Amino acid sequence: MEPLYTHISQQYNAELEDIRSKVLQMGGLVEQQIEQAINALVRGDTALGEAVIMDDTKVNKLEVTIDEECSQIIARRQPAASDLRLVMAVIKTITDLERIGDEAEKIARMAVRLAGEERPKNNYAEIQALGNHVRQMVHDALDAFARLDVEAAVRVAREDIKIDHKYEGALRQLITFMMEDPRTISRSLNVIWAARALERIGDHARNICEYIIYLVRGRDVRHTSLEQIEKEILGREKTH
Amino acid sequence: MSDLSGTPDQVGAIRAMIARHKRWDMIFSMIGLVAMLVGVITLLALFLDLVLDGYGRLTYDFFTSFPSRHAAEAGILSAWVGTTLVMLVTAFAGVPLGVAAAIYLEEYAPRNWMTDLIEINVTNLAGVPSIVYGLLALGLFVYQLNLGQSILAAGLTLALLILPVVIVATREAIRAVPGAIREAAYAVGATKWQTVAHHVLPYSTAGILTGVIIGMARAIGETAPIITIGALTFIAFLPPSPVTATPPFVSFEWLMAPFTVLPIQMFSWVSRPQAAFLENAAATGVVIIVMTLAMNAVAIWLRYRFRKRIKW
Amino acid sequence: MKPEIQPAVRKAKPAYNSAMPPRAEPDTVASGALPQTAARPVLKAQAKNLNFYYGGTVQALKNINLDLAEKQVTALIGPSGCGKSTFLRCFNRMHDLYPGNRYEGEILIHPDNINILGKNVDPIEVRMRISMVFQKANPFPKSIYENVAYGLRVRDVKRRGHLDDKVEEALRGAALWDEVKDRLPDLAFNLSGGQQQRLCIARALATDPEILLFDEPTSALDPIATASIEELIAELKQKITILIVTHNMQQAARVSDYTAFMHLGELVEFGDTNTIFTNPSNKRTEDYITGRYG
Repeated sequence: MEPLYTHISQQYNAELEDIRSKVLQMGGLVEQQIEQAINALVRGDTALGEAVIMDDTKVNKLEVTIDEECSQIIARRQPAASDLRLVMAVIKTITDLERIGDEAEKIARMAVRLAGEERPKNNYAEIQALGNHVRQMVHDALDAFARLDVEAAVRVAREDIKIDHKYEGALRQLITFMMEDPRTISRSLNVIWAARALERIGDHARNICEYIIYLVRGRDVRHTSLEQIEKEILGREKTH
Repeated sequence: MSDLSGTPDQVGAIRAMIARHKRWDMIFSMIGLVAMLVGVITLLALFLDLVLDGYGRLTYDFFTSFPSRHAAEAGILSAWVGTTLVMLVTAFAGVPLGVAAAIYLEEYAPRNWMTDLIEINVTNLAGVPSIVYGLLALGLFVYQLNLGQSILAAGLTLALLILPVVIVATREAIRAVPGAIREAAYAVGATKWQTVAHHVLPYSTAGILTGVIIGMARAIGETAPIITIGALTFIAFLPPSPVTATPPFVSFEWLMAPFTVLPIQMFSWVSRPQAAFLENAAATGVVIIVMTLAMNAVAIWLRYRFRKRIKW
Repeated sequence: MKPEIQPAVRKAKPAYNSAMPPRAEPDTVASGALPQTAARPVLKAQAKNLNFYYGGTVQALKNINLDLAEKQVTALIGPSGCGKSTFLRCFNRMHDLYPGNRYEGEILIHPDNINILGKNVDPIEVRMRISMVFQKANPFPKSIYENVAYGLRVRDVKRRGHLDDKVEEALRGAALWDEVKDRLPDLAFNLSGGQQQRLCIARALATDPEILLFDEPTSALDPIATASIEELIAELKQKITILIVTHNMQQAARVSDYTAFMHLGELVEFGDTNTIFTNPSNKRTEDYITGRYG
């Protein structure tokens, strides 16, 4: 897709550029939230956790701002074709980003709770691994959004399956810990909530990829299987 | 462009410049007024002169007596009857011919060099001196077609005279009908003739009538061609009546009768030495002018009436 | 809240890699065929390899192929001078009124499969089956009744009762009956602009045409009159096939079922309206629709 700044109306150009850049700004903020929440949990840093919890309001404010700008664009410009898809994609993306922000806040809450507890032997390695993967996935998704790169979006969407596997692995491990030592149940439960939040973040990142595909190709791929998407977009069968 | 920021100096300068320009406005409007007045006053003066000279003779008897050698008894009965009958023939001959020719030229003729040539010639015909028409009529109508020195010949001659005026006026009127109306008529499935007959002609009636009446007003005063084909200057009888007591109740004998018209009567009286005849001539002149003005007034009124429906 | 016009450099945190990957231009060939959907619409008319030359030499239409679906609204959009009005006027042979114009190709009318551009086809016959409404309302300077009845008079319909019925039917069809039923002998010029245009629509309807052509019918009207005529078109399409030229894209989006985008005398893209306005396949169409044209 060509750059957006070629409308006859400069003001319109600027408005579309603005919502795009605000989305990326929100994405950056959310990414930072994820990173800091994970760090807070893994290191047991209460202050960091509190900071993340407070910063969630910034994410929410951005969502409201971008939403309002989008409805103004719809009212005043009657966008069509790719512009329309951009506005629709932005509206949906910020919803998912806001949810990611909420999940990051949940992780921070778990971090605060866990800070007061005894640290496990593996120093929350499973959370660290899952968290890194998730953070990378979110970063790549936003990258694909910035470049409107459909093939990157499909690749990132596939990562969600790996994250689901990783989550299940972490879950099994934690259940084993709980069965071995019932005293760790309370701590493990909190870790499970945090892992679950990370898995949810992966799902939201996959949604964002679906919106990118819609934006660029005009094809609504929500609730379509990944194999189907890959066949259409990448044009080849991917063996599972 | 200097910065019109409105300081008192700049405002004053602008005002002075505007006042200078407006002075020229006023000067020119004065010049125009004077020019107009010169024309109008001169004409009024001439007309007033005529009226003063001749109004004494404008009596009922004047209109109902034949010419005579005695100035006091001379009247214009035969003259104005002759004028009326000739105008009738002119109208019946000239108008249909002119309108049809204009319709053909405007709607049907293909746009090639031949049509252009015809167009140019038609417009130029309006400038041909009327005596030339008289000569043409003498040769063609009076002798060749053997119509004699009759009302018919005179009417046809004058019809030829006003033909260019009618054609041009009709063409202008037809052109004034917007293309949108024609397209609307065609789009509904009308043929060319239906469009012309139902739309173009009815909407151009005002213009056509105006042209016709202006042409006729000119024809009323034409003397040279009538003299050339031989209108008499002293007629003490009227042409036979068009309406008869016996069937078929309409007669066309009057077409072939000898006749005279108002301008000729006037001309003949002016050439007499007696002063009294000059009064008669003046009176006739007044009659001619009044008739012309009346015809123009009718043209204006008719135009107004027909234009009411049209809004373009 | 007015969005701040951000300069090119983004102040946000991680600067995402915004280098656009090169996109291969899809090579689309404009096909004017109706989209292959499950419910295949019935064809009313087809333009086949239509070329048109003004004065015999200036080519205004280049190889147009377009299908007109029956009882649907097809819109022609495109920038000024793209040939959409020229194309429209081919359908009722309006170009024949001016000397020198030349058609190549055919326009077939179904179900009889006649080529209306054929040399042996009388344009008057074509105009009796296909009516037109023009950009600026052009009622005749006659009464309202006579305006609507003229099409019937041209077809030698004389019986007064029959004329009255058809006039009323046409005026009802144009949503004008209630406003003028008490003043049919009034001059048409006394109506407002929107009413005059509806009168022209009634005049076109009175002759029961198979196809109704609209040449930018609302460009001279205010928004309310425009909306009422668009409403009228939505009703009319249940009985008549409609082809409408408009330079107002939103009107085309609102009113039509199929949209054709024309540019420089060619048909660039044709498809159902939803697809054209949400996901057109040709870049030129996209540029025009989103206002990037230029």
